[in-house]
Amino acid sequence: MRQTYGKLLPGMRLSDLSGKLIVIEGTDGAGLTTQINLLKPWLEELGHAVLDTGMTRSRLAGEGIRRAKEGNNLGHLTQSLFYATDFIDRLENEIVPALRAGFIVLTDRYIYSLMARAIIRGMDSSWIRSIYSVALKPDAVYYLRIGIDQLLPRVVFSRRFDYWESGMDVYPGHDMYDSFCKYQAALLAEFDNLSKEYKFETVDASADEDVLCDHLKKRILGILEPTPAQTLVSDTHSELFETFTKRVLGNLFPATSNGEVPAANAMELSSSALITHAGSNGRGA
Amino acid sequence: MEITSSIHIGPFEIFYPLKPAVSPVQHYGKGNYPGRLFIVEGIDGSGKSTQLSLLHKWLESKGYGVVFSEWNSSPLVKDTTRLGKKKKLLTPATFSLIHSTDFADRTERSILPLLKAGAVVLCDRYIYTAFARDVARGMDREWVRGLYGFAVKPTVAFYFRVPLETAIGRVVGARDGFKFYEAGLDLGLTADPEDSFRMFQGRIIEEYEKMIPEFGLTTIDATLPVEAQQGQVRQIVQSHLENAKI
Repeated sequence: MRQTYGKLLPGMRLSDLSGKLIVIEGTDGAGLTTQINLLKPWLEELGHAVLDTGMTRSRLAGEGIRRAKEGNNLGHLTQSLFYATDFIDRLENEIVPALRAGFIVLTDRYIYSLMARAIIRGMDSSWIRSIYSVALKPDAVYYLRIGIDQLLPRVVFSRRFDYWESGMDVYPGHDMYDSFCKYQAALLAEFDNLSKEYKFETVDASADEDVLCDHLKKRILGILEPTPAQTLVSDTHSELFETFTKRVLGNLFPATSNGEVPAANAMELSSSALITHAGSNGRGA
Repeated sequence: MEITSSIHIGPFEIFYPLKPAVSPVQHYGKGNYPGRLFIVEGIDGSGKSTQLSLLHKWLESKGYGVVFSEWNSSPLVKDTTRLGKKKKLLTPATFSLIHSTDFADRTERSILPLLKAGAVVLCDRYIYTAFARDVARGMDREWVRGLYGFAVKPTVAFYFRVPLETAIGRVVGARDGFKFYEAGLDLGLTADPEDSFRMFQGRIIEEYEKMIPEFGLTTIDATLPVEAQQGQVRQIVQSHLENAKI
Protein backbone atom coordinates (compact mmCIF):
# COMPACT_ATOMS: atom_id res chain seq x y z
CA MET A 1 0.00 0.00 0.00
CA ARG A 2 1.08 3.57 -0.62
CA GLN A 3 2.73 5.40 2.26
CA THR A 4 3.31 8.95 3.42
CA TYR A 5 6.47 10.29 5.04
CA GLY A 6 4.94 9.77 8.47
CA LYS A 7 1.71 11.71 9.03
CA LEU A 8 -1.68 11.29 7.42
CA LEU A 9 -3.98 14.18 6.49
CA PRO A 10 -7.58 14.01 7.71
CA GLY A 11 -9.79 12.15 5.24
CA MET A 12 -6.93 10.78 3.15
CA ARG A 13 -7.28 7.08 2.33
CA LEU A 14 -4.15 5.37 1.05
CA SER A 15 -5.67 1.99 0.29
CA ASP A 16 -6.75 2.42 -3.33
CA LEU A 17 -4.23 4.81 -4.84
CA SER A 18 -3.43 2.51 -7.73
CA GLY A 19 -1.79 5.02 -10.11
CA LYS A 20 1.90 5.83 -10.27
CA LEU A 21 3.52 8.93 -8.84
CA ILE A 22 6.61 9.87 -10.82
CA VAL A 23 8.69 12.83 -9.73
CA ILE A 24 11.07 14.77 -11.96
CA GLU A 25 13.36 16.80 -9.70
CA GLY A 26 16.25 19.13 -10.24
CA THR A 27 17.44 22.72 -10.13
CA ASP A 28 16.25 25.52 -12.41
CA GLY A 29 17.27 25.08 -16.02
CA ALA A 30 17.96 21.34 -15.81
CA GLY A 31 15.23 20.72 -18.41
CA LEU A 32 12.51 19.30 -16.16
CA THR A 33 9.63 20.90 -18.04
CA THR A 34 11.05 19.88 -21.43
CA GLN A 35 11.25 16.25 -20.30
CA ILE A 36 7.71 16.25 -18.91
CA ASN A 37 6.43 17.71 -22.18
CA LEU A 38 8.09 14.79 -24.01
CA LEU A 39 7.09 12.08 -21.55
CA LYS A 40 3.41 12.96 -21.25
CA PRO A 41 2.38 12.35 -24.90
CA TRP A 42 4.56 9.23 -24.98
CA LEU A 43 2.78 7.78 -21.94
CA GLU A 44 -0.60 8.67 -23.43
CA GLU A 45 0.30 6.87 -26.66
CA LEU A 46 1.06 3.83 -24.56
CA GLY A 47 -2.49 4.11 -23.23
CA HIS A 48 -1.90 5.64 -19.83
CA ALA A 49 -3.95 8.51 -18.47
CA VAL A 50 -1.53 11.20 -17.32
CA LEU A 51 -1.84 14.14 -14.95
CA ASP A 52 1.01 16.62 -14.98
CA THR A 53 1.40 19.09 -12.16
CA GLY A 54 4.01 21.43 -10.81
CA MET A 55 4.75 24.23 -8.41
CA THR A 56 2.38 27.21 -8.09
CA ARG A 57 -0.26 25.52 -10.23
CA SER A 58 -2.82 25.15 -7.42
CA ARG A 59 -6.20 26.78 -7.75
CA LEU A 60 -5.95 28.01 -4.18
CA ALA A 61 -2.49 29.55 -3.90
CA GLY A 62 -0.92 29.74 -7.38
CA GLU A 63 -2.10 33.23 -8.14
CA GLY A 64 -1.38 34.47 -4.61
CA ILE A 65 2.24 33.27 -4.81
CA ARG A 66 2.73 34.88 -8.22
CA ARG A 67 1.41 38.18 -6.91
CA ALA A 68 3.50 37.97 -3.75
CA LYS A 69 6.64 37.39 -5.84
CA GLU A 70 6.05 40.52 -7.88
CA GLY A 71 6.74 42.71 -4.88
CA ASN A 72 9.80 43.05 -2.70
CA ASN A 73 8.29 41.98 0.58
CA LEU A 74 7.90 38.19 0.53
CA GLY A 75 9.84 36.89 3.53
CA HIS A 76 11.61 33.52 3.60
CA LEU A 77 9.32 31.96 6.16
CA THR A 78 6.19 33.20 4.44
CA GLN A 79 7.51 31.98 1.09
CA SER A 80 8.18 28.49 2.46
CA LEU A 81 4.69 28.19 3.92
CA PHE A 82 2.94 29.69 0.89
CA TYR A 83 4.58 27.01 -1.27
CA ALA A 84 3.54 24.35 1.24
CA THR A 85 -0.06 25.56 0.94
CA ASP A 86 0.18 25.34 -2.86
CA PHE A 87 1.63 21.83 -2.65
CA ILE A 88 -0.94 20.44 -0.22
CA ASP A 89 -3.80 21.90 -2.28
CA ARG A 90 -2.49 20.04 -5.34
CA LEU A 91 -1.79 16.91 -3.32
CA GLU A 92 -5.35 16.72 -2.02
CA ASN A 93 -7.25 17.99 -5.04
CA GLU A 94 -5.18 16.79 -8.00
CA ILE A 95 -2.57 14.18 -7.17
CA VAL A 96 -4.54 11.92 -4.83
CA PRO A 97 -7.76 11.87 -6.94
CA ALA A 98 -5.70 11.13 -10.06
CA LEU A 99 -3.81 8.29 -8.38
CA ARG A 100 -7.12 6.90 -7.16
CA ALA A 101 -8.42 6.95 -10.76
CA GLY A 102 -5.35 4.99 -11.88
CA PHE A 103 -3.53 7.89 -13.57
CA ILE A 104 0.19 8.32 -13.91
CA VAL A 105 1.05 11.56 -12.15
CA LEU A 106 4.10 13.31 -13.59
CA THR A 107 5.17 16.05 -11.28
CA ASP A 108 7.58 18.85 -12.17
CA ARG A 109 9.39 18.93 -8.79
CA TYR A 110 7.99 17.69 -5.52
CA ILE A 111 8.63 18.26 -1.82
CA TYR A 112 12.40 17.94 -2.33
CA SER A 113 12.74 21.21 -4.24
CA LEU A 114 10.48 22.87 -1.71
CA MET A 115 12.59 21.57 1.16
CA ALA A 116 15.89 22.50 -0.52
CA ARG A 117 14.71 26.04 -1.21
CA ALA A 118 13.44 26.47 2.35
CA ILE A 119 16.62 25.08 3.92
CA ILE A 120 18.79 27.42 1.86
CA ARG A 121 16.63 30.26 3.11
CA GLY A 122 17.52 29.38 6.67
CA MET A 123 14.57 27.20 7.62
CA ASP A 124 15.24 24.42 10.09
CA SER A 125 15.50 21.17 8.16
CA SER A 126 13.59 19.10 10.72
CA TRP A 127 10.82 21.72 10.73
CA ILE A 128 10.34 21.64 6.96
CA ARG A 129 10.54 17.82 6.92
CA SER A 130 7.82 17.62 9.54
CA ILE A 131 5.51 19.82 7.44
CA TYR A 132 6.01 17.61 4.39
CA SER A 133 5.66 14.40 6.41
CA VAL A 134 2.08 14.32 5.08
CA ALA A 135 3.28 13.94 1.46
CA LEU A 136 2.96 10.65 -0.40
CA LYS A 137 6.09 8.64 -1.08
CA PRO A 138 6.49 8.56 -4.86
CA ASP A 139 7.10 5.49 -7.01
CA ALA A 140 10.21 7.05 -8.51
CA VAL A 141 12.25 10.24 -8.20
CA TYR A 142 14.44 11.09 -11.20
CA TYR A 143 16.91 13.79 -10.23
CA LEU A 144 18.05 15.67 -13.32
CA ARG A 145 21.42 16.87 -12.15
CA ILE A 146 23.33 19.59 -13.93
CA GLY A 147 26.46 21.42 -12.77
CA ILE A 148 26.68 25.19 -12.76
CA ASP A 149 29.27 25.31 -15.55
CA GLN A 150 26.87 23.42 -17.83
CA LEU A 151 23.90 25.43 -16.60
CA LEU A 152 25.38 28.87 -17.28
CA PRO A 153 25.36 28.59 -21.11
CA ARG A 154 21.65 27.67 -20.96
CA VAL A 155 20.99 30.79 -18.93
CA VAL A 156 23.00 32.95 -21.27
CA PHE A 157 21.48 31.60 -24.49
CA SER A 158 17.86 31.17 -23.51
CA ARG A 159 16.53 31.69 -20.02
CA ARG A 160 18.42 34.80 -18.92
CA PHE A 161 18.85 35.64 -15.27
CA ASP A 162 15.67 35.73 -13.24
CA TYR A 163 15.41 37.41 -9.81
CA TRP A 164 14.13 34.31 -7.99
CA GLU A 165 16.16 31.69 -9.90
CA SER A 166 19.20 33.75 -9.05
CA GLY A 167 18.25 33.70 -5.39
CA MET A 168 18.50 37.48 -5.18
CA ASP A 169 16.35 37.28 -2.05
CA VAL A 170 18.98 35.05 -0.40
CA TYR A 171 22.22 36.48 -1.76
CA PRO A 172 21.51 40.10 -2.53
CA GLY A 173 24.53 41.51 -4.32
CA HIS A 174 25.59 43.80 -7.08
CA ASP A 175 24.44 41.59 -9.90
CA MET A 176 22.40 38.51 -10.64
CA TYR A 177 25.37 36.53 -11.96
CA ASP A 178 27.08 36.45 -8.56
CA SER A 179 23.82 35.64 -6.80
CA PHE A 180 22.95 32.99 -9.35
CA CYS A 181 26.24 31.14 -8.87
CA LYS A 182 26.01 31.19 -5.09
CA TYR A 183 22.35 30.27 -5.02
CA GLN A 184 22.55 27.42 -7.53
CA ALA A 185 25.65 26.03 -5.81
CA ALA A 186 23.84 26.02 -2.48
CA LEU A 187 20.83 24.34 -4.10
CA LEU A 188 23.02 21.68 -5.72
CA ALA A 189 24.70 20.93 -2.40
CA GLU A 190 21.31 20.59 -0.71
CA PHE A 191 19.96 18.39 -3.50
CA ASP A 192 22.98 16.12 -3.15
CA ASN A 193 22.17 15.78 0.57
CA LEU A 194 18.52 15.03 -0.10
CA SER A 195 19.47 12.63 -2.89
CA LYS A 196 21.20 10.31 -0.44
CA GLU A 197 18.48 10.52 2.17
CA TYR A 198 15.55 9.99 -0.21
CA LYS A 199 17.36 7.69 -2.67
CA PHE A 200 16.90 9.73 -5.82
CA GLU A 201 17.82 8.14 -9.10
CA THR A 202 20.32 10.67 -10.44
CA VAL A 203 20.32 11.32 -14.17
CA ASP A 204 22.94 13.39 -16.01
CA ALA A 205 20.93 16.37 -17.27
CA SER A 206 23.79 17.87 -19.27
CA ALA A 207 23.15 15.21 -21.95
CA ASP A 208 21.20 15.92 -25.14
CA GLU A 209 17.46 16.16 -24.37
CA ASP A 210 16.51 13.19 -26.60
CA VAL A 211 19.19 10.98 -25.06
CA LEU A 212 17.99 12.02 -21.62
CA CYS A 213 14.38 11.34 -22.56
CA ASP A 214 15.16 7.85 -23.94
CA HIS A 215 16.90 7.06 -20.69
CA LEU A 216 13.94 8.27 -18.62
CA LYS A 217 11.50 6.28 -20.81
CA LYS A 218 13.44 3.08 -20.17
CA ARG A 219 13.48 3.71 -16.44
CA ILE A 220 9.76 4.55 -16.37
CA LEU A 221 8.82 1.42 -18.36
CA GLY A 222 10.54 -0.55 -15.64
CA ILE A 223 8.02 0.57 -13.02
CA LEU A 224 4.86 0.35 -15.17
CA GLU A 225 2.82 -2.73 -15.86
CA PRO A 226 2.30 -3.33 -19.61
CA THR A 227 -1.04 -1.96 -20.82
CA PRO A 228 -3.50 -3.64 -23.19
CA ALA A 229 -2.92 -0.73 -25.57
CA GLN A 230 0.72 -1.59 -25.94
CA THR A 231 -0.16 -4.95 -27.43
CA LEU A 232 -2.50 -3.42 -30.02
CA VAL A 233 -1.35 -2.11 -33.37
CA SER A 234 -2.95 1.30 -33.81
CA ASP A 235 -2.11 3.13 -36.99
CA THR A 236 -4.80 5.79 -37.13
CA HIS A 237 -5.54 8.64 -34.80
CA SER A 238 -9.09 7.47 -34.00
CA GLU A 239 -7.86 4.01 -33.08
CA LEU A 240 -5.36 5.52 -30.71
CA PHE A 241 -8.05 7.65 -29.11
CA GLU A 242 -10.37 4.67 -28.71
CA THR A 243 -7.63 2.63 -27.11
CA PHE A 244 -6.87 5.50 -24.77
CA THR A 245 -10.46 5.98 -23.63
CA LYS A 246 -10.92 2.23 -23.10
CA ARG A 247 -7.86 2.23 -20.93
CA VAL A 248 -9.13 5.16 -18.86
CA LEU A 249 -12.49 3.48 -18.45
CA GLY A 250 -10.86 0.22 -17.51
CA ASN A 251 -9.03 1.97 -14.73
CA LEU A 252 -12.02 3.91 -13.48
CA PHE A 253 -14.72 1.27 -13.69
CA PRO A 254 -13.03 -2.10 -13.77
CA ALA A 255 -16.22 -3.95 -12.76
CA THR A 256 -18.64 -2.41 -15.26
CA SER A 257 -16.50 -1.50 -18.24
CA ASN A 258 -16.35 -3.90 -21.14
CA GLY A 259 -14.65 -1.42 -23.41
CA GLU A 260 -17.77 -0.77 -25.51
CA VAL A 261 -18.89 2.58 -24.13
CA PRO A 262 -18.85 5.29 -26.82
CA ALA A 263 -15.89 7.65 -26.60
CA ALA A 264 -17.93 10.79 -25.86
CA ASN A 265 -19.52 9.14 -22.85
CA ALA A 266 -16.19 7.84 -21.73
CA MET A 267 -14.77 11.35 -21.45
CA GLU A 268 -17.79 12.58 -19.51
CA LEU A 269 -17.60 9.66 -17.15
CA SER A 270 -13.92 10.09 -16.48
CA SER A 271 -14.24 13.77 -15.59
CA SER A 272 -17.27 13.27 -13.35
CA ALA A 273 -15.46 10.49 -11.53
CA LEU A 274 -12.64 12.87 -10.74
CA ILE A 275 -15.02 15.50 -9.40
CA THR A 276 -16.63 12.95 -7.12
CA HIS A 277 -13.26 12.01 -5.70
CA ALA A 278 -12.31 15.63 -5.14
CA GLY A 279 -15.63 16.20 -3.36
CA SER A 280 -15.18 13.28 -1.03
CA ASN A 281 -11.74 14.54 -0.21
CA GLY A 282 -12.81 17.47 1.88
CA ARG A 283 -14.13 20.18 -0.44
CA GLY A 284 -17.57 21.58 0.18
CA ALA A 285 -20.37 20.20 -1.95
CA MET B 1 25.09 35.73 6.07
CA GLU B 2 28.61 34.58 6.75
CA ILE B 3 30.60 32.99 3.97
CA THR B 4 32.11 29.84 5.39
CA SER B 5 33.22 27.84 2.39
CA SER B 6 34.41 28.14 -1.17
CA ILE B 7 34.36 25.49 -3.86
CA HIS B 8 35.51 25.42 -7.44
CA ILE B 9 33.18 24.38 -10.21
CA GLY B 10 34.80 24.50 -13.62
CA PRO B 11 36.33 27.93 -14.10
CA PHE B 12 34.18 29.46 -11.35
CA GLU B 13 34.91 29.86 -7.72
CA ILE B 14 31.71 29.47 -5.79
CA PHE B 15 31.12 30.75 -2.31
CA TYR B 16 28.24 29.55 -0.26
CA PRO B 17 27.46 29.10 3.39
CA LEU B 18 27.91 25.51 4.51
CA LYS B 19 25.56 26.00 7.42
CA PRO B 20 22.22 27.69 6.82
CA ALA B 21 21.54 30.98 8.57
CA VAL B 22 20.15 30.75 12.09
CA SER B 23 16.81 29.05 11.74
CA PRO B 24 13.76 31.15 12.58
CA VAL B 25 12.15 28.03 13.95
CA GLN B 26 14.72 27.66 16.69
CA HIS B 27 15.31 31.35 16.97
CA TYR B 28 12.12 33.39 17.31
CA GLY B 29 10.46 31.25 19.96
CA LYS B 30 13.35 31.50 22.38
CA GLY B 31 14.18 35.10 21.66
CA ASN B 32 14.33 37.60 24.49
CA TYR B 33 13.30 40.87 22.91
CA PRO B 34 13.04 44.30 24.48
CA GLY B 35 9.36 44.65 23.48
CA ARG B 36 6.32 43.00 25.04
CA LEU B 37 3.78 40.75 23.35
CA PHE B 38 0.26 40.51 24.77
CA ILE B 39 -2.28 38.35 22.98
CA VAL B 40 -5.95 37.49 23.55
CA GLU B 41 -7.67 34.21 22.83
CA GLY B 42 -11.19 32.85 23.22
CA ILE B 43 -14.17 31.69 21.18
CA ASP B 44 -16.33 34.05 19.13
CA GLY B 45 -18.48 36.07 21.53
CA SER B 46 -16.04 35.82 24.45
CA GLY B 47 -15.49 39.59 24.37
CA LYS B 48 -11.73 39.34 23.84
CA SER B 49 -11.57 41.95 21.06
CA THR B 50 -13.39 44.49 23.24
CA GLN B 51 -10.91 43.85 26.04
CA LEU B 52 -7.92 44.20 23.74
CA SER B 53 -9.20 47.44 22.31
CA LEU B 54 -9.64 48.89 25.82
CA LEU B 55 -6.11 47.77 26.72
CA HIS B 56 -4.81 49.37 23.53
CA LYS B 57 -6.32 52.76 24.41
CA TRP B 58 -4.99 52.60 27.95
CA LEU B 59 -1.43 51.74 26.84
CA GLU B 60 -1.46 54.57 24.31
CA SER B 61 -2.66 57.00 26.95
CA LYS B 62 0.29 55.91 29.10
CA GLY B 63 2.65 56.79 26.27
CA TYR B 64 3.75 53.35 25.11
CA GLY B 65 4.51 52.58 21.47
CA VAL B 66 1.68 50.14 20.81
CA VAL B 67 1.03 48.14 17.65
CA PHE B 68 -2.00 45.97 16.98
CA SER B 69 -2.00 42.90 14.74
CA GLU B 70 -5.11 40.96 13.87
CA TRP B 71 -5.47 37.30 12.91
CA ASN B 72 -5.73 36.74 9.17
CA SER B 73 -4.69 40.22 8.08
CA SER B 74 -1.47 39.84 6.08
CA PRO B 75 -1.70 42.00 2.94
CA LEU B 76 0.28 39.36 1.01
CA VAL B 77 -1.84 36.39 2.02
CA LYS B 78 -5.36 37.46 2.92
CA ASP B 79 -6.64 37.54 -0.68
CA THR B 80 -5.75 33.86 -1.04
CA THR B 81 -7.51 33.03 2.21
CA ARG B 82 -10.55 34.97 1.05
CA LEU B 83 -10.56 33.12 -2.29
CA GLY B 84 -10.32 29.78 -0.49
CA LYS B 85 -13.21 30.61 1.81
CA LYS B 86 -15.42 32.14 -0.87
CA LYS B 87 -14.98 29.26 -3.31
CA LYS B 88 -14.92 26.67 -0.49
CA LEU B 89 -11.57 25.37 -1.67
CA LEU B 90 -10.10 24.87 1.79
CA THR B 91 -9.61 21.47 3.37
CA PRO B 92 -8.54 21.16 7.02
CA ALA B 93 -4.92 20.97 5.83
CA THR B 94 -4.95 23.96 3.49
CA PHE B 95 -7.06 25.94 5.98
CA SER B 96 -4.28 25.32 8.48
CA LEU B 97 -1.44 26.12 6.07
CA ILE B 98 -2.86 29.32 4.63
CA HIS B 99 -3.45 30.69 8.13
CA SER B 100 0.10 29.78 9.13
CA THR B 101 1.36 31.56 5.99
CA ASP B 102 -0.56 34.66 7.00
CA PHE B 103 0.83 34.45 10.51
CA ALA B 104 4.38 33.92 9.17
CA ASP B 105 4.14 37.10 7.14
CA ARG B 106 2.93 39.12 10.12
CA THR B 107 5.66 37.59 12.30
CA GLU B 108 8.47 38.31 9.83
CA ARG B 109 7.41 41.75 8.76
CA SER B 110 5.68 43.19 11.76
CA ILE B 111 5.56 41.33 15.10
CA LEU B 112 9.23 40.34 15.32
CA PRO B 113 10.88 43.56 14.12
CA LEU B 114 8.57 45.60 16.37
CA LEU B 115 9.43 43.50 19.40
CA LYS B 116 13.11 43.93 18.60
CA ALA B 117 12.52 47.67 18.43
CA GLY B 118 10.95 47.59 21.89
CA ALA B 119 7.27 48.07 21.00
CA VAL B 120 4.27 46.72 22.85
CA VAL B 121 2.58 44.37 20.36
CA LEU B 122 -1.06 43.36 20.82
CA CYS B 123 -2.48 40.41 18.89
CA ASP B 124 -6.15 39.57 18.54
CA ARG B 125 -5.84 35.79 18.28
CA TYR B 126 -2.51 34.00 18.08
CA ILE B 127 -1.18 30.49 17.46
CA TYR B 128 -3.60 29.01 20.02
CA THR B 129 -6.51 29.90 17.72
CA ALA B 130 -4.86 27.80 15.03
CA PHE B 131 -4.16 24.94 17.44
CA ALA B 132 -7.79 24.92 18.60
CA ARG B 133 -9.44 25.27 15.20
CA ASP B 134 -7.12 23.01 13.21
CA VAL B 135 -7.27 20.20 15.73
CA ALA B 136 -11.07 20.60 15.92
CA ARG B 137 -10.98 20.08 12.13
CA GLY B 138 -9.06 16.83 12.53
CA MET B 139 -5.46 17.94 12.00
CA ASP B 140 -2.76 16.15 13.92
CA ARG B 141 -2.07 17.98 17.20
CA GLU B 142 1.72 17.64 17.01
CA TRP B 143 1.88 18.55 13.33
CA VAL B 144 0.06 21.84 13.88
CA ARG B 145 2.23 22.73 16.89
CA GLY B 146 5.32 22.02 14.82
CA LEU B 147 4.03 24.15 11.96
CA TYR B 148 3.97 27.20 14.25
CA GLY B 149 7.37 26.44 15.76
CA PHE B 150 8.64 29.84 14.54
CA ALA B 151 6.20 31.89 16.63
CA VAL B 152 7.45 34.29 19.28
CA LYS B 153 6.32 33.26 22.76
CA PRO B 154 3.90 35.88 24.13
CA THR B 155 4.71 37.80 27.31
CA VAL B 156 1.16 37.02 28.44
CA ALA B 157 -1.51 35.00 26.61
CA PHE B 158 -4.98 35.84 27.94
CA TYR B 159 -7.72 33.28 27.50
CA PHE B 160 -11.23 34.68 27.88
CA ARG B 161 -13.20 31.77 29.21
CA VAL B 162 -16.92 31.80 28.68
CA PRO B 163 -19.64 29.11 28.67
CA LEU B 164 -20.69 28.13 25.15
CA GLU B 165 -24.31 29.25 25.55
CA THR B 166 -23.32 32.70 26.84
CA ALA B 167 -21.04 33.24 23.85
CA ILE B 168 -23.65 32.00 21.40
CA GLY B 169 -26.26 34.29 22.95
CA ARG B 170 -23.94 37.25 22.32
CA VAL B 171 -23.12 36.18 18.78
CA VAL B 172 -26.50 35.13 17.42
CA GLY B 173 -28.18 38.49 17.95
CA ALA B 174 -25.21 40.46 16.71
CA ARG B 175 -24.83 39.04 13.20
CA ASP B 176 -27.05 37.80 10.43
CA GLY B 177 -26.17 34.21 9.73
CA PHE B 178 -22.93 32.24 10.05
CA LYS B 179 -20.23 31.92 7.45
CA PHE B 180 -19.36 28.48 6.08
CA TYR B 181 -15.97 27.92 7.75
CA GLU B 182 -16.76 30.03 10.84
CA ALA B 183 -19.61 27.63 11.64
CA GLY B 184 -17.45 24.59 10.83
CA LEU B 185 -19.89 23.63 8.07
CA ASP B 186 -16.94 22.19 6.13
CA LEU B 187 -16.84 19.36 8.66
CA GLY B 188 -20.30 18.19 7.64
CA LEU B 189 -21.38 17.65 11.25
CA THR B 190 -24.86 18.92 10.51
CA ALA B 191 -26.51 21.02 7.80
CA ASP B 192 -27.95 23.64 10.16
CA PRO B 193 -25.48 26.54 10.49
CA GLU B 194 -26.36 27.40 14.08
CA ASP B 195 -26.18 23.78 15.26
CA SER B 196 -22.92 23.33 13.41
CA PHE B 197 -21.52 26.51 14.94
CA ARG B 198 -22.48 25.25 18.40
CA MET B 199 -20.84 21.84 17.88
CA PHE B 200 -17.70 23.33 16.34
CA GLN B 201 -17.26 25.94 19.08
CA GLY B 202 -17.76 23.18 21.64
CA ARG B 203 -14.81 21.29 20.16
CA ILE B 204 -12.74 24.47 20.14
CA ILE B 205 -13.46 25.07 23.83
CA GLU B 206 -12.25 21.54 24.60
CA GLU B 207 -8.97 22.31 22.83
CA TYR B 208 -8.57 25.64 24.64
CA GLU B 209 -9.12 23.95 27.99
CA LYS B 210 -6.31 21.49 27.24
CA MET B 211 -4.01 24.35 26.28
CA ILE B 212 -4.42 26.31 29.54
CA PRO B 213 -1.93 24.11 31.40
CA GLU B 214 0.08 23.16 28.28
CA PHE B 215 0.99 26.76 27.41
CA GLY B 216 0.29 28.51 30.71
CA LEU B 217 -2.57 30.63 29.36
CA THR B 218 -3.80 33.32 31.76
CA THR B 219 -7.51 32.72 32.21
CA ILE B 220 -9.95 35.62 32.58
CA ASP B 221 -13.56 34.96 33.58
CA ALA B 222 -15.35 36.45 30.58
CA THR B 223 -18.76 36.35 32.28
CA LEU B 224 -17.68 39.19 34.61
CA PRO B 225 -18.58 42.81 33.78
CA VAL B 226 -16.38 44.35 31.07
CA GLU B 227 -14.83 46.81 33.55
CA ALA B 228 -13.89 44.08 36.04
CA GLN B 229 -12.18 42.02 33.32
CA GLN B 230 -10.32 45.08 32.04
CA GLY B 231 -9.13 45.86 35.57
CA GLN B 232 -7.57 42.40 35.85
CA VAL B 233 -6.01 42.61 32.40
CA ARG B 234 -4.45 46.01 33.05
CA GLN B 235 -3.05 44.90 36.38
CA ILE B 236 -1.36 41.88 34.82
CA VAL B 237 -0.07 43.85 31.84
CA GLN B 238 1.23 46.59 34.14
CA SER B 239 3.33 44.08 36.06
CA HIS B 240 5.11 43.15 32.79
CA LEU B 241 5.77 46.68 31.65
CA GLU B 242 8.39 47.65 34.17
CA ASN B 243 11.65 48.22 32.35
CA ALA B 244 9.86 48.26 28.99
CA LYS B 245 11.94 50.22 26.53
CA ILE B 246 9.43 52.47 24.81
